[in-house]
Amino acid sequence: MPITRPTFGKYLVGMVASLLIFLAGGWLILAPFALGYQPYGADWVSQTTTAFATGIPVAVVALVAFDFFCAALLGALRAAGVLAARPEVQAPAALQQPPGLALVPATAHSDLDRTLSTLAAALVADLSARREAQSDQTDGQSIEQSVTRREA
Amino acid sequence: MSVGNAMRRLVPPGSVVLFLMFLTGIWLIISPFAMTTQPSGQPWIASPINTVTIGGVLIVVSLLGILSYMILALRDLMRETQAKQQADQETASS
Repeated sequence: MPITRPTFGKYLVGMVASLLIFLAGGWLILAPFALGYQPYGADWVSQTTTAFATGIPVAVVALVAFDFFCAALLGALRAAGVLAARPEVQAPAALQQPPGLALVPATAHSDLDRTLSTLAAALVADLSARREAQSDQTDGQSIEQSVTRREA
Repeated sequence: MSVGNAMRRLVPPGSVVLFLMFLTGIWLIISPFAMTTQPSGQPWIASPINTVTIGGVLIVVSLLGILSYMILALRDLMRETQAKQQADQETASS
């Protein structure tokens, strides 16, 4: 099967455009002071207010656009295998497993991983034992209460 | 590939934000006249010149960004489709 070479130029174009717009937003904020139509220390004239009210959103939204293009670039790099894919988080599923089962994943090879997995399995076993003991206690208390009510 | 998927690849969220910047550029060009900071018929002062210039820059840069992304993404889509067609032909012939 022929392999198409992934191209990343489109993301770079978007990032460059976003950066240019961010700089334009920054210039809009600075311009009233740089061009001298807003004197220092005086109340803001309407042009300064308009420039600020436009420049700050422009800069923020340009950063958002840059973030979008950057995230798309990272996703494309991961899909192309240039960057390592993110590991999937499976912590909630691991907590729901019965305590008897081993929690060591097949891909964990280091000693630290094994030790941590054993520790996590022990913690899960301890937690489930405590929950069972608490449920037994509450069952016993409810039975005792029902017996005393009947006797009364 | 469906039309929706193709459009999603051609117009990513970043391009939508760039389109917002395009609209902002239009507003920047209009604003000196809409806010009456630049009376019509009078010589231009520094503030409207700056605002209109930045508005023009925003329009040009955002349009260039959107169109360039779209063209490059379209080229990638066409390459992928050609590669897929070649692969299908090879599997059909073998």
